[in-house]
Amino acid sequence: MRGAIDCDVHCAPASFDALFPYLSDYWRQYISEAGIRLNGLAFAYPSGVAGSVPSSYDALADAVLTKSGDEVVVVNCLTGFETHRNPYFSAAVASALNDWMLEQILAHDDRLRASLVVSPVSTDDAVSEIERVGEDPRFVQVLLPVRSDLPWGHKNNHALFAAASSRAMQIGLHAWGRAGKAATPSGFTTTYLEDYVGNQPIAQAQVLSFVSEGVFERFPELRVVVAECGFAWLAPLLWRFDKDWKGVWREVPWVKRRPSEYVREHFRFTTAPAHLPSDGALLDQLLEMMGGAGMLVYASDYPHQHGDGLPALLDRLSEPERRSVLWDTAAELYQVA
Amino acid sequence: MSQVETRTGAEAQATRAVELVDCDVHAQATEAMLAKYLSAPARRMLERYGRRTPRVTEWYPRARNAGMRVDAWPGKPGHIWGSDPETTREQLLDEFGVDYAVLEVLSGQDCYDHPDFAAEWNSAVNQWQVDEWLGFDSRFLGTIAVPHEYPDLAVAEIERRAGDERFVAVLLPASAAEQLGARKYWPIYEAATAHGRPVAFHTGGYVDHRGAGYPSFYLDYHVGNGIVMQTQLASMVAGGMFEAIPGLRVVLTECGLAWAAALIWSLDSAWELMREDVPRLQRSPSEYVRDHVWFTTQPIEEPDDPRHLVYAIEQARLEDRLLFATDYPHWDFDSPKQALPRALGPSLRRSVLYENALSLYGLPAERPA
Repeated sequence: MRGAIDCDVHCAPASFDALFPYLSDYWRQYISEAGIRLNGLAFAYPSGVAGSVPSSYDALADAVLTKSGDEVVVVNCLTGFETHRNPYFSAAVASALNDWMLEQILAHDDRLRASLVVSPVSTDDAVSEIERVGEDPRFVQVLLPVRSDLPWGHKNNHALFAAASSRAMQIGLHAWGRAGKAATPSGFTTTYLEDYVGNQPIAQAQVLSFVSEGVFERFPELRVVVAECGFAWLAPLLWRFDKDWKGVWREVPWVKRRPSEYVREHFRFTTAPAHLPSDGALLDQLLEMMGGAGMLVYASDYPHQHGDGLPALLDRLSEPERRSVLWDTAAELYQVA
Repeated sequence: MSQVETRTGAEAQATRAVELVDCDVHAQATEAMLAKYLSAPARRMLERYGRRTPRVTEWYPRARNAGMRVDAWPGKPGHIWGSDPETTREQLLDEFGVDYAVLEVLSGQDCYDHPDFAAEWNSAVNQWQVDEWLGFDSRFLGTIAVPHEYPDLAVAEIERRAGDERFVAVLLPASAAEQLGARKYWPIYEAATAHGRPVAFHTGGYVDHRGAGYPSFYLDYHVGNGIVMQTQLASMVAGGMFEAIPGLRVVLTECGLAWAAALIWSLDSAWELMREDVPRLQRSPSEYVRDHVWFTTQPIEEPDDPRHLVYAIEQARLEDRLLFATDYPHWDFDSPKQALPRALGPSLRRSVLYENALSLYGLPAERPA
């Protein structure tokens, strides 16, 4: 789309071969002898629902960049969400992915930004990776999977937020991750549909965690961009969160204001998936409940498909609101001039 | 209200029009109260080894008054919050004019118990309701506690209690060893339906916060009850149980209601994209929810603008699906006098306060005065 900051476009190496130049002999052997392959997150994006993810700059440019050039694209490489649990391997893969992203993708076009891949299983390693390459302004945020072993707001993760925040990086919290554990708080699922929809309730739990653990009191500059987890659920969640906080605030004395205030200031949500009512009047109600579209940032989520909710949403917005969703809110977030 | 006042003579003496049904009241038995119903081996097992399930109050302690209403301690030897029918009658039925109170005894809801013990324990919960509550005041109604992880034993307990009309529903927790849409549990749902009872799923049970991992605080856990129920409802719809058991009615209890619309939109959108993933579904998810699912109100969401709550109800078409509940004696008790905002309007308030419950549970609209 022209004149937009696209906050979630996918790009990933086609195989480990593409990462070999950025991996040590030890890990090249480990990968070769174990016969590990990048499976492209097949559990998250089976062939029945997803197009193929670009694996080179040319493919990416063909798909999402225009000749007119008045756009900015944030590239998210989800390869760091693969299933393996070895923290040393996870850290090595994260570094290789970031080096690959810099050389193979970002170097070709100054309209591109990227999320920094970090190990999702070791805060120490995530901090080291932020320290290693996080000074590069093209890495605008640290990418975390919405599925986690511990909710991300937990104090064990605060060093990661300190490292990001001190470099003016945000947190990108993206759908999926951590296959092999139950996808939902109620247990293992038996359909893809539940896994797919399940990203939204999991994101809700993460929103609660960031606020209740006091992350934004400690890191007032930090913002969290929730990608590919929807947003229609937000208003009712905050009604309940505020109500409960009024009753049990003693448990979390560092939460000094209503939870909804922290969320409105510190969270942004991509417009994917826009699972919305087809009735325009209901859509207006929903936007009113959310206090407007101020927390939304545009994402095509290429190559993932979520139905036709996004164009309907953009059509329904006033022109100033549409500009803020397409450009202004993300420009402020990612310091795009 | 005026209906009763304008009645005359003997008729007014005889009956009273029902105006308030409380669909989630906690009677809570002490172990000693239930132990007397157990067989000798089960009692010995309880005495010597106890129940191995950590209480959810140990995982997520309630920072004030153990999560109970400050005034609800009965002050009688051997009693705890919610164990004394006289206190509940005084503080809930009489004080607020509750016409029917549906008891949900959570003491049997854990899933680590040995099947033999679980069967006895849940049967004890039910017999305790009969002996101490249902006969004590006819406004108290029971729900059938079942050893839900052992569906054959659960079905046997449903059959044992089904002849007693005072048991108006079958009670299950909102979290179990498997997702509640799993086929494992369908025999329970079939038995409940065959006996004309809805299945009430009450927040709590097996606490295992997968997905995002374990939250640190009661605050997240408690708000998260609504999140757990969202994934349970997705499981129920996607798993096909509403297609397989056409008469099944489920009551989602103490999990909020305002999230329903967003979940329904998401399920419908996903279904359009991936019908081949759920070939059993013959209709859209929203239609199954519409036909099969009820919600209790407490803890009702409180938007700054109360009209937004009305939006949320209308968006999900829940007007005839909401059941008022106080959650007595818990700290977040919703008062019948204050919890429903005026924005709902008189007709919707009547539906929520009693009409929907009378219809769901098949209760008489008049009761002995």
